[in-house]
Amino acid sequence: MPDKVSPIEALSAASRAWGEIGPHSPKPHWGMAVDQERCLGCWSCAIICKSENNLPLGQWWNRILTEGEALDQPILERGALEMHWLPLACQHCQNAPCVKVCPVQSTYHRDDGLVLQDYDRCIGCRYCMIACPYGVRVFNWGAPARPTPHETGMVVSRPLGTVEKCLMCVHRLAEGQVPSCVWSCPSGARVFGDLNDPGGRLVQLIREREGEVLLEEVGTRPSVTYLPPRRRTTL
Amino acid sequence: MSAGTLPVAGARARGRPSLALVAWIGLLVVLMAIGLMAFGYQLVNGLAVTAMRNTVMWGQYILFFMFFVGLSAGGLIVASAGRLFGVAAFKPIIRLAVLEATVAVLLAAIFILPDLGRPERVINILLFANPTSPMVWDIAIVFIYLAMSTGYVWLYARADLARAGSALALGTSASEAASARDERVKSAMAWVALPAAILLHSITAWIFGLQISRGYWYTAIMAPLFISSALVSGLGLVILLALVLRRAGRLAFADGLVAMLGGLLAVFVVVEGFFVFAEFLTASYPGAPGEADPISRMLTGPYAPLFWFEAVVGLVVPFVILAIRRLRYDPRWVALASGLGIVGIFVHRLGLVLNGLSYVPIGLPPGVSIGISQAGGSAFAETYWYVPTLVETLIVAGILAFGALLFTVAAAILPMQEHENH
Repeated sequence: MPDKVSPIEALSAASRAWGEIGPHSPKPHWGMAVDQERCLGCWSCAIICKSENNLPLGQWWNRILTEGEALDQPILERGALEMHWLPLACQHCQNAPCVKVCPVQSTYHRDDGLVLQDYDRCIGCRYCMIACPYGVRVFNWGAPARPTPHETGMVVSRPLGTVEKCLMCVHRLAEGQVPSCVWSCPSGARVFGDLNDPGGRLVQLIREREGEVLLEEVGTRPSVTYLPPRRRTTL
Repeated sequence: MSAGTLPVAGARARGRPSLALVAWIGLLVVLMAIGLMAFGYQLVNGLAVTAMRNTVMWGQYILFFMFFVGLSAGGLIVASAGRLFGVAAFKPIIRLAVLEATVAVLLAAIFILPDLGRPERVINILLFANPTSPMVWDIAIVFIYLAMSTGYVWLYARADLARAGSALALGTSASEAASARDERVKSAMAWVALPAAILLHSITAWIFGLQISRGYWYTAIMAPLFISSALVSGLGLVILLALVLRRAGRLAFADGLVAMLGGLLAVFVVVEGFFVFAEFLTASYPGAPGEADPISRMLTGPYAPLFWFEAVVGLVVPFVILAIRRLRYDPRWVALASGLGIVGIFVHRLGLVLNGLSYVPIGLPPGVSIGISQAGGSAFAETYWYVPTLVETLIVAGILAFGALLFTVAAAILPMQEHENH
């Protein structure tokens, strides 16, 4: 497989500026807010995640759940029809069950808060998938199937028999760029930033909107926060 | 029924294996060969050849792993507790129990391998061991226990082997002094073996029971329940194997021992039922969905056949059989009760794996991506019905055949009869 060449250098100045991480503290804890008020349920972030991270058919690191009984179907709430989505990928927990149970420390914490995965060490026992209360980890069951003969995105394909998941586009962070689900969201529902920067937009938003983490009761302390919808409008 | 005399009719001259034995070994070798080929096929094509997916990521291999850990722990708990508390009546079956425990734990260790996506990297568990992972502790105790029980098997057979001039005695002497030393070592080892056996199955239970992500598993009763399951299935298997070996003329004991073991099995069955009841009551009483939903799936939902089979065929029926004195003194009835107990525990474990995993966490549509592309089917699932594929089943059959072969050969070579006068 040829070495991948980052197209970030090839982008126009305006495009590059659009994806800039922006100001952050000297010792950042990367995090994300997902605004459920802005989310359209369009799956753009899920699709670009597949493309960016070279995901084969049948495998998704990021998916858009519909709150309720069926995909894209409204629910009746206090007599009114409502429809909300829950975009779900790795929550990059600070008390990560997957890191705790991995027998070989193949999934691990980085100082900047990210939960990463060493594909060359993973023995494929899938204990991390058992432990994850969010069900966001996936396993390479067989040879990867792709719609075209080409691989996609910026990441090499993972070995057979190993576990993988969202790495918050760690390859883009290294170039000062936000994860691809963030810059590509048509409604600006995803905000990436530094949870250690009290004046930053991410922390401000979480504070103002009273952000909530998923399954707070299991104590995982995620780095991803959800901003609940304020107006509950009827459809 | 026969009294406690040596069944001379069943005994055969050494060195002339019967046709049935040769056919049995042949069958096992064929199954092993097929299993090995199936494993090769899985290595090349990945775990996609199993029915496991991102939704139900553990299946038959883990099921058999924990089942055999239980069979092993149960056998050794009974044997070492018998020695520790000076139950002389258990003596005739002690070598059998130790051998059964050894073969079973070896099989458990082997069952880990086909479950791994990268079995060739298994050494990483040693190189990069994560102390917070219950799996690391479990694999450590499995190997410590395997080494210990193998030593135990040898220690029990050593003097007899030395007397017979066998090379397996490893040059040790058959003197009275050596035998007296053996007895001291055996007594000391029983002190280690009993807690080790309990620890072995407790840590296996904690692989599951410490996971807050799985409502059905996250309960403090998991370890005690695993121990009681181990006692039922382990003792059940020891009883069955003892009867088989007696018929084959390799072991002699009175029917009274079978009745005694049967009585013990009845107690274990009651304890198992009590733990299951305590867990189900605690989980369902508050009516909180995370706890109660898995229970209702077992009681009235899709897994009800498993649960009620376990409850009735695996617990109630064996208990009733063993509670009736006349039946308890009939080895055929005790064998039936033991077999049902073993099957019941297996079904219980099956329900544990399936019910723990079939429903994805955060069960909102469309669910979890299953992990393979399939024409005409959705890439997502909220629930998934795991039915093992032929490949998985052949691999499991091959490993089981290896265990049966190992036991058959060991039981034929090693002297199985423990001397009453020691």
